[in-house]
Amino acid sequence: MIKVKSLKFRYPKNEDYTVKGIDFEIAKGEIFGFLGPSGAGKSTTQRLLIKLLRDFEGEVEYCGRPLKSYNDEFYQDIGVSFEMPISFSKLTAMENLDFFKQLYRHPVDVEPMLKRIGLWDDRDKKAGEFSKGMKIRLNFVRALLNNPKMLFLDEPTNGLDPVNARIMKDMILEFREQGGTVFLTSHIMSDVDELCDRVAFIVDGKLQEIDSPRNLKIKYGKRTVKVEYKEEGQLIQREFTMDEIKTPAFFELLQNKDIETLHSGETTLEEIFIKVTGVHLRG
Amino acid sequence: MDRLIPLIRGDFSRLNKYNLFAANFVVMLVWATLVWFIDAGQLKQFVPVVFVTDSTMMTILLVGATLFYEKQEHTVNSVMVSPVTEDEYLMAKIIVSVLNSLITVVIISGILYFVKDVSYNYLLIALAAVIVTTVHTLIGIFLSYHAKNFTAVLINLMVYSFVCLFPTLFASFGLINAKVAKYLIVLPPEAANILFGAGIKETELWKLVFGFVYLIALAFVLYRFIVKPKFNDYVMREMGV
Repeated sequence: MIKVKSLKFRYPKNEDYTVKGIDFEIAKGEIFGFLGPSGAGKSTTQRLLIKLLRDFEGEVEYCGRPLKSYNDEFYQDIGVSFEMPISFSKLTAMENLDFFKQLYRHPVDVEPMLKRIGLWDDRDKKAGEFSKGMKIRLNFVRALLNNPKMLFLDEPTNGLDPVNARIMKDMILEFREQGGTVFLTSHIMSDVDELCDRVAFIVDGKLQEIDSPRNLKIKYGKRTVKVEYKEEGQLIQREFTMDEIKTPAFFELLQNKDIETLHSGETTLEEIFIKVTGVHLRG
Repeated sequence: MDRLIPLIRGDFSRLNKYNLFAANFVVMLVWATLVWFIDAGQLKQFVPVVFVTDSTMMTILLVGATLFYEKQEHTVNSVMVSPVTEDEYLMAKIIVSVLNSLITVVIISGILYFVKDVSYNYLLIALAAVIVTTVHTLIGIFLSYHAKNFTAVLINLMVYSFVCLFPTLFASFGLINAKVAKYLIVLPPEAANILFGAGIKETELWKLVFGFVYLIALAFVLYRFIVKPKFNDYVMREMGV
């Protein structure tokens, strides 16, 4: 769907490149997570891919054609949801969506989406009266109203309560099941882990890692099993390698001891983020 | 240009919802009231001032306010990731401003015709409104590019008034030497004054031709070399780049 080769970009007023020659591909029907600390080049890369920034070096292809060869009709194909709430505050939710619908050739019926995302009853309320979470949900519906082939989502679940975050994640997964492709940035690593088929980590304008969350967890994790059990009133921890768990000693421990917890040594995406980027996540 | 009509409809709808139409209407009422009370003989001096002020200052103010709201609510970003082109976006702003000015022209002219029995060359006045408003919409957009907030828009407008509008007014009151005053035609409000004046009173032909050609050329230069090329930078700045 998207092919990026030796992509470099420098802002006119900067001496250094913000994006320093990155390569990656996003397959059709894939959810691709693009992660990195603030200022690493994440947003710049996204702006390059959605043609808001133009004078880049290297190659970017969308559906087999150079991105530069597309005119504004490119936007008939994609949906973009920004992190910040974007809506005309004195227009109702429905008026906002109606305005944007008129700009597309094949708009969808927004009623089912608004109902699903819990905004149907508030459709005639002014967007300025919405809570942050409601505005984010409205952003998401706005990104979907042209029935896009590809979605660019910036922190889509940030500021949402768990129920609405769940609904939105389900909708993103359904979008993929229907053949849609997603470019997603987020600092909520549990969401990235759950949604993304592959993730890329960008640090200081360069890609440090690209792989599936599972492979990264194996790569950065320890291939061990940690067991916690009680013995003579004391909590004892023991760690077994993957080879050791095949031995009788491990089975004896499971059979004879009062086991409290049993964990594999795979790491979390959050720990991988910290290791790869050297930056701790906020919150 | 498929999206031009929805953009124009959207801009009109927002002018209404954000009460900018109401503000414009109040100003128009003030003009209408003044026109009502001024003697028919003096009206031909006064009416060009009404049209010049509406097509220049009110236009800049309305465009500045519109762009300020779009900037404050980041909606321009959302529009620019839709199929709307820069040309469509800018043209919509120009057309909406021109229609606003023409509405003022129609209402004021209607009052003058039916109440004061004053008529003039409506075609020339309408043409003047179109070109003067186009130039000043572009000036308004340009001033908004260089304003961080609405206060800055107002300051920019005041500077523009001080540099370009006040000399025109001083000249019309005879406060500027006639030899110097004839060069003021290069100021857009003075050129506007000549164009509107030509529809109402006798004007030297060269001034009329120069005024039209000059403002059309100015609109082209502003659009082609300043407003459009800087538009993408403006959108990027709004995104925090």
